Order: sequence, then structure tokens, then C-alpha cells
Amino acid sequence: MLDKGQFEKILNRVEKPARYIGKEQNISLKDITEDTVRFAFAFPDVYEVGMSHLGMHILYNLLNSKDDIYCERVFAPWTDMEEEMRKNNILLYALESKDFIKDFDFMGFTLQYEMSYTNIINMIDLAGISIMSKDRKNDDPFIIAGGPCAYNPEPLVGIVDFFVIGEGEEVTLEIIEIYKKWRKSGGERKEYLEAIASIEGVYVPELYNVDYNEDGTIKAFYPMDAKHPTKIKKRIIKNLDEAFFPDKIIVPFIETVHDRVMLEIFRGCTRGCRFCQAGIIYRPVRERSMDTLLESARKLIEATGHEEISLSSLSTSDYSQILELVNKLIEEYKDKKVGLSLPSLRLDSFPLEVIEEIQKVRKTGLTFAPEAGTQRLRDVINKGITEKDLFKSTEEAFGSGWSTVKLYFMIGLPTETFDDVMGIKDLAYRVKDIFFKMPREQRKGNLKVTVSTSCFVPKPFTPFQWYPQDSIEMFNKKINLLKSSIKDNKVTYNHHDSRLSYLEAVLARGDRRLSDVLIKAWKKGCKFDSWGDKFSFEKWLEAFEETGIDPDFYASRERSYDEILPWDFIDVGVSKKYLINENEKAKKGELTKDCRKGCTGCGINKSFTGGVC
Amino acid sequence: MKIRAKFTKQEYIKYISHLDLMRVFQRAFRRANIPVKYSEGFNPHPQFSLATALALGVSSDGEYMDVELDTYIEPEEFKQRLNIVLPNGIKILKAVFSDDKDSIVSLIRWATYIIGFSTKEKVTPEEITSEIDSFLSREELILTKEKKKGKKVTVKQHNVRERIKELFLLSNENDTIILKTTLMTGSQGNLKPEEVVELLKEYTEIKIEEDSLKLHRLELFVEKDGAASLPI
Ligand code: SF4
Repeated sequence: MLDKGQFEKILNRVEKPARYIGKEQNISLKDITEDTVRFAFAFPDVYEVGMSHLGMHILYNLLNSKDDIYCERVFAPWTDMEEEMRKNNILLYALESKDFIKDFDFMGFTLQYEMSYTNIINMIDLAGISIMSKDRKNDDPFIIAGGPCAYNPEPLVGIVDFFVIGEGEEVTLEIIEIYKKWRKSGGERKEYLEAIASIEGVYVPELYNVDYNEDGTIKAFYPMDAKHPTKIKKRIIKNLDEAFFPDKIIVPFIETVHDRVMLEIFRGCTRGCRFCQAGIIYRPVRERSMDTLLESARKLIEATGHEEISLSSLSTSDYSQILELVNKLIEEYKDKKVGLSLPSLRLDSFPLEVIEEIQKVRKTGLTFAPEAGTQRLRDVINKGITEKDLFKSTEEAFGSGWSTVKLYFMIGLPTETFDDVMGIKDLAYRVKDIFFKMPREQRKGNLKVTVSTSCFVPKPFTPFQWYPQDSIEMFNKKINLLKSSIKDNKVTYNHHDSRLSYLEAVLARGDRRLSDVLIKAWKKGCKFDSWGDKFSFEKWLEAFEETGIDPDFYASRERSYDEILPWDFIDVGVSKKYLINENEKAKKGELTKDCRKGCTGCGINKSFTGGVC
Repeated sequence: MKIRAKFTKQEYIKYISHLDLMRVFQRAFRRANIPVKYSEGFNPHPQFSLATALALGVSSDGEYMDVELDTYIEPEEFKQRLNIVLPNGIKILKAVFSDDKDSIVSLIRWATYIIGFSTKEKVTPEEITSEIDSFLSREELILTKEKKKGKKVTVKQHNVRERIKELFLLSNENDTIILKTTLMTGSQGNLKPEEVVELLKEYTEIKIEEDSLKLHRLELFVEKDGAASLPI
């Protein structure tokens, strides 16, 4: 356990000490017995980011609802704290008990974005645990990982002991059940890993082998022993309405990214945007019933006192009873001054009156994500939104008193031309014109249009997974084009770092050879890579150089349909044939309709039951 | 209707900033079903104010707040309901109705603190006392403050001798020295205990071990008819 005196001295020297103290409302405090299985939920980013993650709150409370499991939290200490910890020989500890992670049974990472991988290595090291699985001893914790990036786990092979593919609620408990038996038996580490390899959704990489072709592509991927599955099928919760949802969540002391009650209204998405990984891997759509949601909201507000409820999902307005739900929530919480926020709202399908009603409690800006600047390109990516939708919604919104608009786009989408890029500017200017075309007396506030572009990263399990990413030079050319053509004090232009997106593409579509690069980069000091000032592209390039790995092979290469992709052994339910077909349709600019209006044959209903299809 | 309450900020909660503490209360009010009055407008805020801010790492036994109520609730009930839902370390000690027109923020004049530390070299109580005596006998104690305004840094110097009402040795045991001090606090003049420590380092021979420093607020005082008295 931490030495309290020494700990307090350090807290006095670091920025935002409240990140490291625990003690928040609604944490779980438990007595530890011989039978307790200790699980550290590890989030490889700072407290404020990690605490905003709904999945953590769900799993934390689920595990702690079992008497013999104690789940605690650990986040990546910011660099000042890490420095103090290393200087004073303080190992990474869990927030609740202040016990060292080294003494836990599991250290479970959630993989939310690729650029957090170096933080994972850093946290394992800071915990005093060997960073390579093969070096770990019997009494070391098992390092496990899940979350969206685990759908291509290969870059972390060798570091993570095993992965959980898909939704973790049930499978985590199954893993722990087997752990209890294994611990009693006093067996070897390997025996445990062999035992869990047969659980659906569990991937134990050391049981698998990869052969490569001369050109570096994969020749074969297979289990070394035929008794292990050749395909790892993702796990899903069949009935979301009966699935565990916490009735209390931890209330952070300091401001976090999403500091509010998050109600998960459904999982999955039926829109079929072709760049979107979440839209494929989280299929099929499963909704929570309105009664369940209202009940959850009631309990959570009572337990937290939060001033805001947000409805969380991939596309909020697609919830089948969204209007009723929103109206009921507004009705119930108006007097308590609890606001409602609806992120990822598609304004094309949501009546403005309701939005106005929501904004009576707390007024925020409007957000649109047309993703691409021209209709042609929006058709390529199957975004569905038309210009008319956007202009109509903005016009209405300006008419009812809004004046801040955010517009999100991607650059580098397949088939994009410079005309498409300029389309982004044109769109923003049109929005501006709409505002000033209104009679002066009707305009309220000061118009502010913010245009943000991110760089397209082709992700596994999307119809664009075979596609080469734009080069950094090309991205920068497009960014500069926008920078020099958006010259209006009402319109602000923001863009992402193209070099980061490049690395993201490398890691997202990487294979197991990349773990050497990760370790090299970490050894050179890479961590918090997504935090602008901490990011060093040069160090990453050195790491590639020194390991003899060509990043372009992963980011900038077009793959053929018959190439074995590093993540092909994972079964997400949506067939490869469907993805190929979608990619071909994209090239022709053909749309695929929302499958709520009729099945488009993605294949998920063949191997997975549950959900709406 | 206004309730004035006294509360503590102890243990690890001392690492929570003033703004964060406001939010802790805001949420505690909702959990405890306290009928706090809200402001009008786009972003309604609960009407309550905390007396003064504490620096991160400073604990306290004597914090105060004013809370405007929408509907009647007994102060005793206010206290009990909140204490159930507040995190460990924050405790409402006392709550009363107040008909003060002035807010607690504008009334505070003095604060007492405990300053505890160990020294790099051994010192006797006599030595400490004589150091403090000569410290206090100075007519000028100059505090240098840097103010950043954008990129410009301006340095301001103030003679703050008058803002120290008292400072004396409370105990000197097991190599730990404990001082007690009363300092001017509030809009009419303010001195923080950490600033007193800065001054001690500058004007005395006491070699304070930086790492061992512990600051604790004991109480806040308002001034009534020229005399200091407790806020409630
Ligand atoms: S099976 Fe059909 S309805 Fe179900 S998710 Fe796939 S395309 Fe949509």
C-alpha cells in the first residue's frame, strides 16, 4: 500500500492532485479476503478522459455487484505525477484501496483509441510488471484488454496476455469464474490461458501463429493446437433491456470530459456510413426500453446529483421512441434544473421544437457532421444527409435564436478530389449566408461557424478497410488549401494533426510485428501521444527505422480483396462479402439504405440472435 | 430565505479546488433534495456562495457558505440531509437562518491558521520565538507578487505587515514546529498562510523543510462594531 505521508508530499507538488486521490461519491470500498478476485480497470489516459467513459462505469459497478470481486480504477498519471512516482519509487496504485496494481489478479485495459497504446506499456511498467507477457510470473496480474480497438488486437500481441472481443459484461465474469478455479488449483499461468481460450470472445494470442509471404503480407494465421478456435467470435449482450446497468455511478470531484449521467439508449447503428467502424462492430441494434431508461435516469440523478443527463448512442435520433423519451425526461427534470444533452444527434430527423424545449434548461451550440463537402462524396461514404437537410435545419435554428454552429468533416475520404475539399469551404460559407440573409431584427447573437476537419483513417471491418490512406503530404495540401481559402472572421477553421492520423492508420490496421515498434517508441519516451504537446513524430519515425518496419506498408498500401488481413480471424458477424459489396457500391456512389427500413443483408442476423433484425 | 452554514474541508478533500468544491455542493444539494434557489437565464445556477477560497492542500475546520432557499427547510434538517450525502472530509457543523443582507463573502475580515513544519536544522522553542518576535517587530514585510496578464509579467510589492494580526509558537514537539497565526482575509486586505511561509523564509533564519509543510485553517471571523466575531 502507498505510504500516506510520502503520497501527500507528492500531491502537494503535482497539477490537479484530485486526479489521484480517489474518495469520490459512490466508489466501492470492500474488505479483501482470500477469496477476493482483485480487478484493476485501467484506462490508458488521464483521469478526466477515463472517467468520461461509460463502459468503465458499467463494468466497475457490475464487477463490484459480486461479493467476491473487487474492481478498482487506475488511470495514466500525468507526466508530472509519473516523474514524482518514479523518483520516489512509488508503484502504480489503485484509486480505491491505494494498493499496488502489481498485487492484483487482473489489470484490464480498455482500448478506445490507438494512440493510447504507449500509455498502456507505460502503465504496466509503472506498475512494476514486466511489459512482455512471456516475462510475467505466476503471481503477476493478467494483463487483459477489450474495447473497440481490440477488434484488431494484433499490434499489442506480446504485451497483453489476452483480449476480450466484443461486449464485456458477461464474458468478464466467465473469465473470473475460471480464474478462481485456476487459482485454487495452483496451476501454471499457461494452464489458465489455455482454459479460457475456449470461452467465446476470448483471444489468447500466444496460442496462435502467423506465417508471412515474402512481400510482408500474411500467408496464414492459425491456432498452434487444433483444439483452439480458428475464428474468434465477438460477444454481444442479447437483451440489452435485461443487461446490467448501474444505478449509481462515481461522481468525479474535478471536471471531466463528460461530467454527467450517461444513459445508454441503444447499441449498434443501422445507418451504414462506410467509414464508420462502430457502425459495423456494434451490430445488431439493440434498444433499452423507455421504462428501463426512465427508471435508470431517476436512480442515477438521485445517486449523483448531476445537473445533466446525456443520451448516449451512435445516433441518438434513431432511437425508436426518441420523442417520447425526450419529452418525458424534460417533463420530469425541468424543475430540478437537470439539463438534457443529445450528442450525435442528426438534426435532419429531429424536430426543432423539441430541441428548443431541451435548450430551455441549458443552451448549447448546434453541431452538424456532414463529413464531406460535396453530395457526390457524401454518397460515396453513404452519409445520407443532403445539403437541403443541412440548410433547412440551420435556417430554422437561426430563426429560433441560435448563432453558433459547428461543422465536422473528414478529409482524405476515398475518391476525394480538391473540388470535394473546397466543397467544405462552400458549405460553411452557405451557412453563413443563410444567417445574414435573415432580416436584421430576426438575427440573434453573433454568428460563429466552426469548421473542423479530421483526417480519414481506414479502419478494420469497414468497407474502406482495403483503401490506402492519403499521405501526410496530401493531407497537409488539403488542410492548407482550406486554411488559405477560409478567410472570414465569422468562420473558424480547425484541423487535426495529419501525422497522428497516419500513425493511427498504421496501428489500426497493424499486425503483431508492430508491438516491437510500440515498445521502441515507448522506450524513446513516447506517451500521451494524442496530447499535442507530448507528441513526437520524430521518435516514432526513429522507432520504425530501428525496427526495420515500414509504416507505409500499413497506412498507405491498397490491399486486394483476397489478402489475409491481420484481423480476419475475428468474426464480427457482418460478412466480408457485404463489406466488399459496400466498397464497390461506394466507388459507384450508390447508396445503401438505412437497414431499419429493410434488411440490406449484412449477415449479422445469421450468426447472432437478438437485436431488431 | 438564507441559510448560513459552517463546514469542514479535511483529509484528501483538501486537494479539491474552490471551483470543484462548488460543484460538490451543487450536486450534494440535489442528492439531498435541498430546495436551493436558482438564478434565471440560459444557464441557471444555484444561489449559494462560499466565504473564501483555500489553496490546494490546505485543510480547514472553519469554512462558511450562504445558501438561498426556494422553500422553507429547517436548518437542522439542512445540515442532516447534507451530511448523509457529502463525501468524507466535508461535514456541515452548524447551520442557521441568516437575515444578513450582505453575503458571507463580503463580511469576512480575519482568518486563523495553523502552520506546521519540520526544520532542516534543529531549533529550540526559544530560538523560534525570538525569530518570530524580530519578524513581527519589523515595520515592513514586503511580499513580492508576480501578476501575469497575457504575456506581460508585472511584479508588485506590498508591505503586508499590517495584515498579520498575530503569529506565535503553539508547540515544538518531535521536531515538528506548529505556529498559529491570524491573518487579514477578504476584500479589504488579504494574506494567505502560504505567503506568510514565504515571508518567514525570507526574513528569518528558520529553515523550513518544504516537503513537511502543513497548513490548516481553524476559523474565519467577521468584524462587528470593531470587534472580531464568529460568522454564526
Ligand atoms: S442483418 Fe440486415 S437489418 Fe440486421 S443489421 Fe444487418 S443489414 Fe441491418
